[in-house]
Amino acid sequence: MPNLIPFARAATAACLAAVLAFVVMASAHAAPAPSLPHGNAAVGQKLYQSCMGCHSLDENDVGPRHRGVVGRPAASVPGYAYSTALRKSGLVWTPDVLDRWLTNPQKLVPGAKMYFSVANPNNRADIIAYLSQQR
Amino acid sequence: MDMFDRRGMLRCMGWAGTGALFTLGGGIPGSITLDAALGATPKPGFSFLQISDTHLGFNKPANPDPLGTLKEVIAKAKALPVRPDFIIHTGDVTHLATPEQFDLAQQMLGEFGVPIHVVPGEHDIVDGNDPRPFLDRFGRAARGEGWYSFDAGGAHFVALVNSIHLGDRGMGTLGEAQLAWLGQDLAGRSASTPIIVFAHFPLWDLYSDWGWGTADGAQALSLLKRFGSVTVLNGHIHQVQQKIEGDLTFHTARSTAYPQPAPGEGAGPGPLVLPSVQLRSAIGLRSVTLRQGAGPIAITDTPLA
Ligand code: HEC
Repeated sequence: MPNLIPFARAATAACLAAVLAFVVMASAHAAPAPSLPHGNAAVGQKLYQSCMGCHSLDENDVGPRHRGVVGRPAASVPGYAYSTALRKSGLVWTPDVLDRWLTNPQKLVPGAKMYFSVANPNNRADIIAYLSQQR
Repeated sequence: MDMFDRRGMLRCMGWAGTGALFTLGGGIPGSITLDAALGATPKPGFSFLQISDTHLGFNKPANPDPLGTLKEVIAKAKALPVRPDFIIHTGDVTHLATPEQFDLAQQMLGEFGVPIHVVPGEHDIVDGNDPRPFLDRFGRAARGEGWYSFDAGGAHFVALVNSIHLGDRGMGTLGEAQLAWLGQDLAGRSASTPIIVFAHFPLWDLYSDWGWGTADGAQALSLLKRFGSVTVLNGHIHQVQQKIEGDLTFHTARSTAYPQPAPGEGAGPGPLVLPSVQLRSAIGLRSVTLRQGAGPIAITDTPLA
């Protein structure tokens, strides 16, 4: 735990800097704002630990395995018993949809069987950035 | 047979300084293994065992045979010179909450031969957030979503359920209905009644980055503050962790199945694979002895080997 604190602090600072840079950029160019903050995959790898009580990259467990999840249709891992709700959702796990899922899976897919959420948008972006790399 | 390293010893001594003793061994601030306890003279007093995170149905390398290690725990418990008054199980009885796993769990927990009080872990409620399949098997005296209380050995026991609605980063949640019930349950009790609370997730913020805490745990703790002796026992973490906060002491128990890494160390809060000879030093059970009168509560954590 102690060795993680400076790391987490640095990570927060990095996120803050990223968000600030983004705000400055957005206002300077008045470009349409992308809907997600940029994630930091290295931080995401740490944060992904909180998913590991139920998931891993390569094995189905309480939840389905995650390798390659970004861009794939929901409920498409063979051998995992998904909820009917998620199977019928018709969703594709784009970063944006993943962000909504991690914000509140029950709101995105009522009747899904994941009861776990990540409140902080930067944390979500970091986790999604990490998952995007796990091809 | 000496299971305590220097760090463990110092931790125990720190404990003694604040009024709780790891005794069973005659008031010496230190601990003895269950094997040593087996040879000790039986002492009168009320005692119970805590087991946790049996994860029946788990089959990964961290412990391919959690049924086998549970059987070892049962054998140790049955060989104790003083029969415990009951057992509490702080959740994750099964790994995936299937009917088959529940059947096996009921059968195995029956083998202890003493009453057993159980709270669910999140692995016992895998399909959605309906605790009924679990409560139908293990929740006889429960109310609401499974919480209950009872008196035994001069103490008041409170079983809380914080594993059904998971909050931010997977932290446990008690919810308003349960907190309201807890307030009523504690109201009117004398502040000198020893209170023993048990739940699956820790009620203190052990390591919230890994969800090792209870989002609204502080509200429960504030209801408990006025009592002179509050002991909070939990599972979920699969290792012994302790904290003292005023008159509140918190104890996280080992699993009977597999260990997890120390908070913030290593890959994450999942099964930790140890060399197989080390597994039994990282899993085990706990015994708790209450003295009649104002004596301290004695807590002994015992690994399987
Ligand atoms: C308490 C257990 C639990 C935790 C912790 C958990 N999940 Fe899940 N997750 C599930 C379950 C169960 C499902 C299956 C949902 C269904 O079938 O409705 C799931 C499904 C998913 C899916 C859909 C996958 C697919 O193949 O369609 C994604 C994506 C996902 N989780 C991401 C995450 C991430 C990222 C985290 C950590 C931030 C996380 N989950 C933490 C239990 C969990």
